[in-house]
Amino acid sequence: MATRNPARLIVALAVAAVLAVFLLYTAVAGHSTPTYTPSQLAGHAGSLAVVGKVVGPVAGDSHSSTGLRFGMRNIDGKGHVVSIVYRGDNPPPLFKVGRDVVVSGTYANGRVSSSSLITKCPSKYQAAKTPS
Amino acid sequence: MADLGRAALVVSLGLSLYALAVGGYAAATNRRRLAFSARNALFCAFGSTLIAAAVLAVALVRHDFSFQYVAAHTNRTLPTQYALSAFWGGQEGSLLLWLLILTGYGALAVALNRTLLRDLVAWVVPVLGGIATFFAFVLVAVASPFDTQTAPVDGAGLTPSLQNPYMVAHPPMLYLGYVGLSIPFAFAAGALLSGRTDERWIVATRRWTLAAWMFLGFGQLLGSHWAYVEVGWGGYYAWDPVENAALMPWLAATAFLHSVMIQERKGMLKVWNMVLVALAFELSVFGTFLTRSGVVNSIHSFAKSPIGSWFLAFVVISSLFSVALILWRLPLLKARTKLESALSREAVFLYNNLLLVALSLTILWGVIFPIVTQLFKGESRTIGRPYYDFFLRSFGLPLLLLMGIGPLIAWRRTSVRALARVLALPAAAALASGVLLVVAGAGSSRPGLIAYTFSSFVLATIIVELVRGTRATGSLFALVSRNRRRYGGYVVHAAVVLLAIGIAGSSAYGSSTERRLTTGESMKVNGYTLTLRGIVHPPNQNATETRAVFDVHGRWNGTIMSGDNQYRNPPEPSREVGIKTDWLRAEDLYVIADDINTKTGVIYVKVLVKPLVNLIWIAGIVFLFGSLVALWPDAREQRRLVTRLAPARA
Repeated sequence: MATRNPARLIVALAVAAVLAVFLLYTAVAGHSTPTYTPSQLAGHAGSLAVVGKVVGPVAGDSHSSTGLRFGMRNIDGKGHVVSIVYRGDNPPPLFKVGRDVVVSGTYANGRVSSSSLITKCPSKYQAAKTPS
Repeated sequence: MADLGRAALVVSLGLSLYALAVGGYAAATNRRRLAFSARNALFCAFGSTLIAAAVLAVALVRHDFSFQYVAAHTNRTLPTQYALSAFWGGQEGSLLLWLLILTGYGALAVALNRTLLRDLVAWVVPVLGGIATFFAFVLVAVASPFDTQTAPVDGAGLTPSLQNPYMVAHPPMLYLGYVGLSIPFAFAAGALLSGRTDERWIVATRRWTLAAWMFLGFGQLLGSHWAYVEVGWGGYYAWDPVENAALMPWLAATAFLHSVMIQERKGMLKVWNMVLVALAFELSVFGTFLTRSGVVNSIHSFAKSPIGSWFLAFVVISSLFSVALILWRLPLLKARTKLESALSREAVFLYNNLLLVALSLTILWGVIFPIVTQLFKGESRTIGRPYYDFFLRSFGLPLLLLMGIGPLIAWRRTSVRALARVLALPAAAALASGVLLVVAGAGSSRPGLIAYTFSSFVLATIIVELVRGTRATGSLFALVSRNRRRYGGYVVHAAVVLLAIGIAGSSAYGSSTERRLTTGESMKVNGYTLTLRGIVHPPNQNATETRAVFDVHGRWNGTIMSGDNQYRNPPEPSREVGIKTDWLRAEDLYVIADDINTKTGVIYVKVLVKPLVNLIWIAGIVFLFGSLVALWPDAREQRRLVTRLAPARA
């Protein structure tokens, strides 16, 4: 039995189903996290991610109960410093003062308690300063 | 030298603009001599871009630090191969590489088809000229690699993690893929502009699409392997926007490669193919916009740059151009035949297409979600790995299943009974392997078990097809030679199966243990016992190396070292993981030693056992081989196509 045009119907139904699934998934069960810069944190609380530049001093140990402690400022160097406590795996080797990082965790009482720390990979397109 | 490079780029811009404007006028007014001159302008644009590229390459090899670009990305101690790889190690150089490949590809594609598709090529030239004009303009006016300065004593050098053979090959591979998608796009646009919407543009560009797709796919696997062995976090894909930027057009191109077969054979899906080829091209440029603009957060530190807005404008304009063209030519894109049954090879190809495009679009949605939420909710929300994993399973597993059904199901229509008969043997093999896997204890991960069962099904269908074909032709070689496209495709399917098994094995059945160790202490991980023997500093001229040495006993006995390098110029650290591969199991023992305290002999160590992970890299080789088989010139196929398309040429 040849249908009149099943292709059109299949396409329409499939597209509708796909749209429905992913909109529903992101709306209801999506794992989205609000991402802020340190200067945007004021007034927010709960689970979030922060993108910024590491400022010292860096102290402590990520495996201890007190964690690895450091500060973060906006990548452009502006704004106030927010304090971070990171507990978990060793930070990546590139982690150091001045490096751009992303931390995920919870924000409360002016401090981010983080269990995830990602140092931005120095892939290409990042020219370092040339010695004069 | 820099003046020569700058001048060559200005000439490229002028010639590209000529190909766009004069080529468009010539095609619209049917002026052949003018069209020839526009075509020659495109050829010459390649020549002048080649001169600009040569100037930059010479400056890089000679460490000419009067070029700002050379000083920013190399230094005197950088070996020649890495000095050359700095060509694409920076933004300006990689844009020049883009223009070089684009004009080279364009000139070759136009030259090869100039007599066969004269009316269509007349429109391809201005489309390629338009794309080249954009890149040449950006290079001349916004991001020139030929800016000069007073030469410093030394350059800044290349980040140590990029001083790796993978980084010599991975970026150019991706560019060959990204830029290659411009060719089918230009021919599709040429077909629409000229009104020649038959299958000729598909035949003319099939190998170009296949080559671009092969480079893009293999380039991504090279990048993944680089991340695995060099970055040292134990993974190979992080669903990062920059990584997704290459995956999205590859998925769209995969859908296109499948759906063109339906158009060639049945004259269907003409609009869909135009949409797909435009989508693949736009996604490749959109990916560049993502990486250059800094609008989304990425673990890759791509600098924010003003060229992002230029790319966004280009994506918007070229997308509008594509949509307008398709809408204008809709009456010419009517299908010759219709889908007769939902149980047919055409229908399976269509389902495959929908899943591939859905996967590509859901990834796109995840990538732009932070921008969308910033626009509409005032706060940027990032989507994490669970979202992508969910959709990879939701769309990827059915895709795997369809990959097995597609080659066996009949064209036009089939009955459920006939289909069941054809699929009985592979289905039985899949079921048996599923049961065996459960008995072997692989039932702990349901997606992993499904992936393995479906993979067995696909492998069984490939074997059934090869055995059947070999019986008919007398030899496997003769079988493949008769239809390289089809059997090359099967080899690629086998590569996808290996990839699926590798991903499922390493992610669903892998194990990870971490702890602090002092010299002499041991830890047990999934069949291995690692004892910290001590800490050593192997000699290295460019870095201070620190390595923890482990004695390993278990499925493999020997020594493994892991630690870090502190490079002197540039002063950067680099994690050096220890990897021992068991090729029989395709398994890796992956050791990350950190926090190495030379005085106390205390380290922090993370050990991962990654079963079957090496199948992912083997899949890359198989994928490359299959793609090359499908790409190989096939005179028999060419004769078939000429016969089939003869009425269209008349």
